[in-house]
Amino acid sequence: MALVEAFANSLSPMVITDARAPDNPIAWANEAFLKVTGYSTEEIVGRNCRMLQGPATDQATVERIRGAVRAAEPISVELLNYRKDGTPFWNAMTITPVRDSDGLAFFYAAQADMTHIHQLEVSMRGTNDELERLVDARTQDLSAALEQKTALLHEVDHRVKNNLQVISSLMLLKARRTPEGEARDALQSMAERIGALSTAHRMLYSEGDCTHFNLGEFAAEFLADMNAGLDPDRRRIEADVEPIAVAAAMAAPLALLIHELTANALQHAFPGEREGRVSIAARRTDDGMHLIIRDDGVGLAATPVNPAGFGRNLVEMVVRQMRGTIVWADAGPGTTVTIDIPLRPLP
Amino acid sequence: MGIGNAGTETALRILVVEDEALIALELESLLEDLGHVMVGVAGTAAEAIALGRSTTPDVALVDIHLVDGPTGIEVARALSADRRTTVVFMTANAKRIPEDFAGAIGVIAKPYSERVVASTLDYVADRRAGRADPACPDGFSPAPA
Repeated sequence: MALVEAFANSLSPMVITDARAPDNPIAWANEAFLKVTGYSTEEIVGRNCRMLQGPATDQATVERIRGAVRAAEPISVELLNYRKDGTPFWNAMTITPVRDSDGLAFFYAAQADMTHIHQLEVSMRGTNDELERLVDARTQDLSAALEQKTALLHEVDHRVKNNLQVISSLMLLKARRTPEGEARDALQSMAERIGALSTAHRMLYSEGDCTHFNLGEFAAEFLADMNAGLDPDRRRIEADVEPIAVAAAMAAPLALLIHELTANALQHAFPGEREGRVSIAARRTDDGMHLIIRDDGVGLAATPVNPAGFGRNLVEMVVRQMRGTIVWADAGPGTTVTIDIPLRPLP
Repeated sequence: MGIGNAGTETALRILVVEDEALIALELESLLEDLGHVMVGVAGTAAEAIALGRSTTPDVALVDIHLVDGPTGIEVARALSADRRTTVVFMTANAKRIPEDFAGAIGVIAKPYSERVVASTLDYVADRRAGRADPACPDGFSPAPA
């Protein structure tokens, strides 16, 4: 009976039930089984294994065991069982039907206490939950910070635009209350410059991309604003400007530049009732932007020298700021101003 | 300037809802130049709604940020409830406008140019007169249909 001894001394809890007796009672259990469950042999022999079940035992698993026992099929399951002292433990068991010459005789069940594995799983789940909670918390912090920054950007953008409107209104109000003459003209042309800056600024941040400025879009708006103040039968501004994307920082200088050259041409190239046309053309080159502003007016030589020369000064300053070059030429007829501004090479 | 083309038959009675006094004052001069009539200026939501009731303007130009906060939205909703009044937002804060535009027909973005104000008012006058499908002026963003 070496085999029986081996079973009896095995560290794995084992139990044998009598399949032929009513209610399949326990017929034999080894020392390890008694130790795990806390019962003595007398307390369990003759009773059904369901005595080990308790309130948190999964009934579906119990049903599976019953089904297998009824069909006399082997089954491996894990079930929450209870010791004599009421403490639960996870019992992993393999139940095997044993037959003799008369048919089904016993069920043999080998078991293993899986409580520590379950504890590990629970604590792993706990650790994962904790990690996820931390990640969630950080993500929330970051989203909140981003939301705050976005709100701040909108607020600043709104204030800048509103202030531009106030400055423009202030200039126009003063112009309206100033008698016709040099002072009034100066205020009027300042208001126009602010208008050009406003047009540029309106286009910044209006779309999703807040780092770029589209010169083509600006030219279209600028043209519409300028032409609205002209008699279309006598004077006309035209533009052929590619949709060049430039850094947002260049929006204001470019807007000022284009406004100044156009306004200058309108003011000086067509004295009296002379009719004329101003054209603005811009295209992207490999390493920059090529801008031409042309009029068919009286030409540079015929233009009276303006002692203040503010317009021309402003233009040259802005071109220098953008590290560009500018050439003023008599085009006969008219004047051609050619500007090259370096841009980051196209990718 | 000669940018106004509102004849007496297209002169609009306009309520300006704007908390910035300088902007309102300049806007009044501009509206006069364009041949329209400003019937009042309001800087708060309550003032705007009360003036809307007492003057029933043809058009209300409504800023979103007023003295009492971003209340221009509710002003637009209240004023547009009277079908005789056409509401146009005029704001540097277009991102705050709700999807349904609170009853307004569109928005003029600040900083605006005089041209856009002029052409938008012409457009509003055409719409109110029932002239078939006037072209939407550029610089004016209409509310989604």
